[in-house]
Amino acid sequence: MSQSSSSRVPVEERLFSLVLALLATETGLTKNEILSTVQGYRQKYSARGDNANLERQFERDKDDIRELGVPLETVDSPGQSGNNQNLRYRIPRGAYELPSDITFSAEETTLLGLAAMVWREGSLSAESRRAIVKLRSLGITSDEPVLGYAPRLRVRDATFEPLRTALEKNAIVRFAYLKPGQLDAVIRTVAPLALVQYQGRWHLYAEEPDTGLTKTFLLRRIVTQIATTGKTFTPPPGDQSAKALREIEAVWSAHTVEVTVEPDSDAATRLHKRRGTEVSAAGTLVLHYADANIVADELAGYGPEVVVVSPQAIRTAVRDRLLRVAADHGAGGTHADDHGAGDHRADQGRPTDG
Amino acid sequence: MAERKGPILAQDKLAFLLSLVPFLMDHDRISVADVARHFSVPAEQIREAVRLIAVSGIPGETGQYQHADLFDLAWDDFEDNDQIMLTNLVAIDDSPRFSGREAAALIAGLQYLSALPEHADRAAIATLMSKLSRGASAPPSQVAVEASETDATLALIRESVAAGVQLEFDYSDSRGEHERRRVDPLRIESVDADWYLRGWCHLREALRTFRLDRITNPQITSEAITYHAADVHLPETLFEGSVDDLVVTIDVARSAAPLLADYIPDGAVSTEIGDRIRTTMRVSHYHGLKRLVASMPGVVTVVEPVEARRVVADWAAAGAARYGEGD
Repeated sequence: MSQSSSSRVPVEERLFSLVLALLATETGLTKNEILSTVQGYRQKYSARGDNANLERQFERDKDDIRELGVPLETVDSPGQSGNNQNLRYRIPRGAYELPSDITFSAEETTLLGLAAMVWREGSLSAESRRAIVKLRSLGITSDEPVLGYAPRLRVRDATFEPLRTALEKNAIVRFAYLKPGQLDAVIRTVAPLALVQYQGRWHLYAEEPDTGLTKTFLLRRIVTQIATTGKTFTPPPGDQSAKALREIEAVWSAHTVEVTVEPDSDAATRLHKRRGTEVSAAGTLVLHYADANIVADELAGYGPEVVVVSPQAIRTAVRDRLLRVAADHGAGGTHADDHGAGDHRADQGRPTDG
Repeated sequence: MAERKGPILAQDKLAFLLSLVPFLMDHDRISVADVARHFSVPAEQIREAVRLIAVSGIPGETGQYQHADLFDLAWDDFEDNDQIMLTNLVAIDDSPRFSGREAAALIAGLQYLSALPEHADRAAIATLMSKLSRGASAPPSQVAVEASETDATLALIRESVAAGVQLEFDYSDSRGEHERRRVDPLRIESVDADWYLRGWCHLREALRTFRLDRITNPQITSEAITYHAADVHLPETLFEGSVDDLVVTIDVARSAAPLLADYIPDGAVSTEIGDRIRTTMRVSHYHGLKRLVASMPGVVTVVEPVEARRVVADWAAAGAARYGEGD
């Protein structure tokens, strides 16, 4: 390898060499051993001088490697515990390698390829692509590709990534949350437990450290950046994302709005096909909803094709929204300055009440 | 993370190297072309990776990267015949585990797709998810997606896509018009909770996108499709601009702008006015626009043209008029 020792070593070569070196060692290597011998570090290592830059490089590389799911661990040197300089680094083979009893059939590989495809943007897209590369490493050839599908999931909320990072670090976070109908956003401090997409919207499921109560927040209503508090929490046992989805679903099941629709209208077609819609004896449609403000927005979109029969709060909310839109667009010759109109309270049955 | 572009690229390359080595180990001798096909990457990417692997290794006893501590390759066979045969192996025995995030991304994708007609076997999906979870080096992060709601219409469309036969259905568009359509179904698409059919419409003689919840009385015909997915350009984005599009100027709350990103053309000029963004969006007609704007009250306002404002105002006013004064 002497031929490349004088030239600059590409980042991936340094990272690859580090992984190989740490996989090959049983007892672990000290930082000094790594910096002085591993390809990509040794070229910049100074035996007598200051290696502070190189040490920082090593710290960043460790993070990058761990992000790929490589279990880089530290062990105390025998008899030297607590001495940082003698910490040893290694990658335990058993925790690194995919267990040999985990295999995937061609059919499963096809399915996973489709599952990876749904993420077209953001970090989830990069992560699913990497997962597929690792899957291909196993050598299974997938069945014929699933033709005729192009499913997509989107993550358009700027707060998603910081919340996911906090979730993984069990970090308590703070943000301002603006409920529809309120004039001012309220600062919330919560322990994030799960991020779930329900009916196309991302929700944060979190626990309030003070009360121990779990709450669900719509990411769309978070109006500030996510701030960390420096505090962490012990995550509760169990599948929190499944619990979050169950709780929202229970709210959805328990709440209905009754509407009449114009026959043969777009509203009639689509609301009949909406999940869970029941037709009453009187011919009205009974629709389920998980959030009163969201269903009011949805129904307002149908304009004159829908009239809300009950509950009164949603009836009022939809009417106020329509008046607001009409006024904002110059209906009646006056321009609206009442910016509260569209935010009328219609607050029953919000799972997303924070 | 996402903003550090350099390391991300190097990370992806590292993941690729760690995946490629075990694959090559399982094949005594394999052509660059076959490996490229298997990993769906350009052949040159395989060659670059192989060259790097072949000179990599471990410091070894001496700390000097002695020959026996390096991977080695049948170089002549590689250079002359484009064949890969690793002749010495170090450090790596097996494929790497998934990271917690990688497993979570696939698991959430599977959850979302679990309601598709061909995934009727829920137990098989659950097994697959638990394998991903067990195959990860850390617990998958708690990210989940509700199983998308699908109905008999989707199953029927899926059947017609697979069989390559035409489909007939009643379609009510956003203008409120109903027509019986005959379509060459080409691709089923979705964005989050909404599902669409992209196909060649024999009535319009053009590529069209249909919302599944506007389709009623679907019926499979026995007639073969005339246009195939390979014949027509199926755009990656769901909302493809067209020369006939109408352009409207809107004011949108900054926080809601990403929701309209699909309608905002590339290169649209956006200016900030307080907490609002003034920009342009394209729509195929004002009927879709009026529904969209009315469903985002106080969030989006059409600025011009006057005609678009009038259509929206009339739509909303007609809706409001259906409620009594006393409400």
